[in-house]
Amino acid sequence: MKKGTSASAGIGIGKVVIIEEVELVIPNHAVSDTAAEVERFRDAVEKSVKDVSELAADMAERIGEKEAEILNGHLMLLQDPMLTTGVEEMIQTSSTCAEAAIESVFTMYADMFASMDDELMQQRATDMRDIKTRVQKKLLGIDSVNVSALPAGSVILAKDLTPSITAGINPANVTGIVTELGGKTSHTAILARALEIPAVVAVSGIMDEVKNGDSIVLDGGAGIVIVNPSEKEAAEYQTKREVYLKEKKELEKFIGMPTVTKDGVRVELVANIGKPEDVDKVLQYDGEGIGLFRTEFLFMDRTAMPTEEEQFEAYRKVAVAMNGKPVIIRTLDIGGDKEIPYMGLQKDENPFLGYRAIRFCLDRKEDVYKPQLRALLRASAYGNIKIMIPLVTCIDEYRAAKALIEELKAELDAAGIAYNKDIQVGIMVETAAASLIADIFAKEVDFFSIGTNDLTQYTMSVDRGNDKISYLYSTLNPAVLRSIQRIITCARNENIMVGMCGEAASDPLMIPLLLAFGLNEFSMSASALLNARKLICGYDSKELQAVAEKAMSFATEAEVRAYMTEFVESQK
Amino acid sequence: MIRQKTVVKNSTGLHLRPAGVLCNLAGQYKSSIRFQTGGGASSGNAKSVLSVLGACIGCGEELEFICEGPDEAEALQAMIAAVESGLGESI
Repeated sequence: MKKGTSASAGIGIGKVVIIEEVELVIPNHAVSDTAAEVERFRDAVEKSVKDVSELAADMAERIGEKEAEILNGHLMLLQDPMLTTGVEEMIQTSSTCAEAAIESVFTMYADMFASMDDELMQQRATDMRDIKTRVQKKLLGIDSVNVSALPAGSVILAKDLTPSITAGINPANVTGIVTELGGKTSHTAILARALEIPAVVAVSGIMDEVKNGDSIVLDGGAGIVIVNPSEKEAAEYQTKREVYLKEKKELEKFIGMPTVTKDGVRVELVANIGKPEDVDKVLQYDGEGIGLFRTEFLFMDRTAMPTEEEQFEAYRKVAVAMNGKPVIIRTLDIGGDKEIPYMGLQKDENPFLGYRAIRFCLDRKEDVYKPQLRALLRASAYGNIKIMIPLVTCIDEYRAAKALIEELKAELDAAGIAYNKDIQVGIMVETAAASLIADIFAKEVDFFSIGTNDLTQYTMSVDRGNDKISYLYSTLNPAVLRSIQRIITCARNENIMVGMCGEAASDPLMIPLLLAFGLNEFSMSASALLNARKLICGYDSKELQAVAEKAMSFATEAEVRAYMTEFVESQK
Repeated sequence: MIRQKTVVKNSTGLHLRPAGVLCNLAGQYKSSIRFQTGGGASSGNAKSVLSVLGACIGCGEELEFICEGPDEAEALQAMIAAVESGLGESI
C-alpha cells in the first residue's frame, strides 16, 4: 500500500497503463540553408498551434472553458514573439538546426520560470517544456502520446502528466489516475476532479513498482494506492466502490430539494467559506447561502493592510455570486496566534484569551475596523450581506461595533453611496460569557451563530490543538450541550435567527439534537451539505424531542455519545 | 514617444491569464509598446507574454508603458485602461 495526496475522490479499480513521454533524441547539427530551416521551424509551430487550438476547443466543449484555459495559455506561449524570434535568430546567426535551437531557447525560458519564487509562475516551467516537446515532435515526425483510445478500465500511471496528455483523457475508459509528482492544485488534479475520475498524486516511488497490465486499486479520497492487491483487498475495494457510487448518486438526488423535516420544519442549509472562489463549490452542492465567510484570508500572507477597495471587491463578489441568498460575513478574527507583521500584534501569552477579534478591532478602529465595516456596508448594496461580530463576551462590545456601523452609515448617506439600510448585525456566540447572557444579547442583536469549535474550547477549558487532552474536546459533553440548548432557546424566545457554523452543524450525532433544540440554520463545509440535507429531511422534529430529552438526561459524554450513536444507527 | 504609469491591482499579480489579455491587446497596435517596472529596474516588450511573465509583476507594483509609433496615443490609453480594469479579472 502506498500513500499519496488525495486529488479527486472516488474508488478506482483497473489495469495499469503506464504513460511515458519518449525520451527525444535531439539532433544538433549545422544547417547550410538557414532560411529553409527557419521555414521548417515556422511550419512546425503553425502545425502545433493548430493541434493545440483543436485540443482547446474540444476541451472547452467536453469539460469546460476553465479547464481549457491552460491550453489557451500554451497557444499564447507558442506564438510569443520573443520565443519565435529567439529561435529564428539562433538558426540564422549560428546555423543551428531547428530542434537544437528550440531546445536551447525554450529551456532557457523554462529555467527562468522554474527559478521564480511564485508557485503559479513555477507551473509555467512545465508548460514551456510541454510545448517544447510538442514542437520538437512535429519536427521529428513523432506522434504525440494519445490517451483517448485506451482500453476500458485503464488506470493511468505516470511520473507526471502534461496538460497536452491530460487533455485527451476520456472518462469512459479511464477509471483512475496515479502520478508520482504533482499536487492538489496541479493541472492533473483539477482535470481529474472536473471529469470525476478518482486520482492520487505525489505517490513517491510508485513508478518503480508498477508495470503495464498490473492490477491496481486506489482510493482518491484517502490518497491510497495498492498495486496487485490481494483477493481480499480487491473485494474490499469493489465493495467500497459500489458504496461510494451508491451514496454519491443518492446524495445527488438532494440537489435542488428544500431542506425540510418530515413534519414540515424548514431550516437553512448554508456553507462556510474562506475566500471568494469557494463560492463555486457551494453552488455546486446547492448551498442555500453562506453562513460564515471568514475574512482573515484578505489579511494573511501579505506585507500591507488590504485597502477598503480591495475588501469591498471581495465581499461584493460573494454577494453577487450568491444572488440574493444570505451571506454572513464575519469581521476580522485574528490575534497573537497569527503572524501578520504589518499589524504590529505582539505574541500573546494566551492568544485565545488575549488581544484578538473584536477586542483588537475596537482598539484599532481607524486603520483596521472602519475600513472593513465600510467595505461591508458598501458591498451590502449588491446582495444579502449580514455582518457577524466574533468573540463577543459582553453587550458593550456589540454596542460599540453597532455605533461604529451607524456612524459609517451616516458618512455613506452624506456621500450619497448606496448600501443596505436594514443590514442585519449579529454575533458569533462562542464564549461561555455570551452563552450565559444569551437572553440579554437576544433582545438587541439581529441573529446568533453558534461557533461550536470555540464554544467547546472555552466551555471545557481545553486547547483543541493539544493531543494529550483532546478527549475533552467534544460537543457532546453535557456542559456544551446545555450551553447550546440554552443559546437556541434564548434566540427563539426573542424570535431572532439562530444558526451554527462550527463542525458540529454537520455532525450526524449532533443534527438530531440541534433540530430538537430548534436551530434555524446549519452552516458547514460545502462538501458536507448534501449529506446533512439528507439527514435533516429524514427526521421528524417532534419525534426528536424525546431523543433530545433522553440525551440531555445523561451525566457523561460517553453515555450521550453511545446513546446518539445507537439512535442514528437505528434510523438507517 | 509617450509614457504613463499605473499600478497593478490583480491580487496574484500578472500571471498567465491577465498577462495574456495584456499582450493580446498590445498586439492590436502598430506602435511599439514597452513596459518598465520598479522605476526602470526591469523592462520588456508588452506584446510578448514571456516578457511580461518574466518581469514577475506583483500586486501593488508600479507599471509604466512607453509607446512609440503611429497609434501611440490610442495604444497608451488602452493599455492603462486595461490594467486599471483588472485585465479580465475582478480586482
